[in-house]
Amino acid sequence: MNATIHTNIDRCKGCAICVEICQAGVLEISEGVNRNGYRYPQIKDEGACLRCGVCEMLCPDFAIWVISLEEETV
Amino acid sequence: MVDAQIQNHPVDCFFNEEAMPSVWCPGCGIGIAVGAFIQALKGSTLDPEMICVVSGFGCTGRIADYLNLRTHAVEDGYVFRRGAQLSDENPGLKVVVCSNNADLLMSGAEDFIEIRRHSPQLTVIHLNNLFFIVTEKGVIPTTPLVRMTDIDFAELPYNIPLMAKACGASLIARWTPFHAGWLRYSIMDALSRQGLSVIEVVSPCLLYHANERRIGDAVERMKFYNDHSIMDTNIPMEYLDIRYYRKIIVGKFLDRV
Repeated sequence: MNATIHTNIDRCKGCAICVEICQAGVLEISEGVNRNGYRYPQIKDEGACLRCGVCEMLCPDFAIWVISLEEETV
Repeated sequence: MVDAQIQNHPVDCFFNEEAMPSVWCPGCGIGIAVGAFIQALKGSTLDPEMICVVSGFGCTGRIADYLNLRTHAVEDGYVFRRGAQLSDENPGLKVVVCSNNADLLMSGAEDFIEIRRHSPQLTVIHLNNLFFIVTEKGVIPTTPLVRMTDIDFAELPYNIPLMAKACGASLIARWTPFHAGWLRYSIMDALSRQGLSVIEVVSPCLLYHANERRIGDAVERMKFYNDHSIMDTNIPMEYLDIRYYRKIIVGKFLDRV
């Protein structure tokens, strides 16, 4: 496992950019909805994460972020 | 266990937590541009106390509400005047102006043209949404050549990079929200230099362009930016205006050191 992916689901507005942009297919759209009625991304396969950080860079609502394990341990 | 209890985004210290989530539409490019600015600020060695963000009117003006920095939200058209004034009065302060089309080309156009008298230390992040949509479906000076239903509009759009070059900018770049990494490095470059630097973010308004120009919603919008933009930094600056029938040219166009 390379990294941990954290989401703040109450900030998400369900644009699904992070799900489509992920090359490794880590994320998927959830069945349920959040507090505002949007379908948020949830983690399907965290071990496949490549730590590219594109989901964090392209999220307009600052709702997803990736922390690599080297960063966490240091 | 790796399940660390980190509940906050690494840049959450720059945001007003009670103002979030933002009012912008799902997938709007303003949020991506603000994220790129915050990441650039975090990556640079600048003191966040010495950053002042000035924003004006409309969706772009909401940027000042969400940031936890020194911010000024001024009325329509006074963004550049206020930014130049702040920069003149406080040497050492880095002023970041988040402007929209009304601030740069309509009500605040003369302030932007007169900006070279002040020689300010300004970083302009211009969010070009090509249309007014919230107030009225008006045609503005950056609207590409288009035939609308009720009016025939045959006028070429303004060329913002050329205009910024005439105003004495030292760094001119244009990106789309899809190029968030390049945008972040351009903003980081702009924050670390003296003088005026203009970074244009071409992010067409979701409300109009998703339906009537068929650019699409959030995900299709990212595919549109990928397919319809080309990076070319050697093209003459006279050809940098935006048309619907040719690709959006992105890149860093001018770097005066």
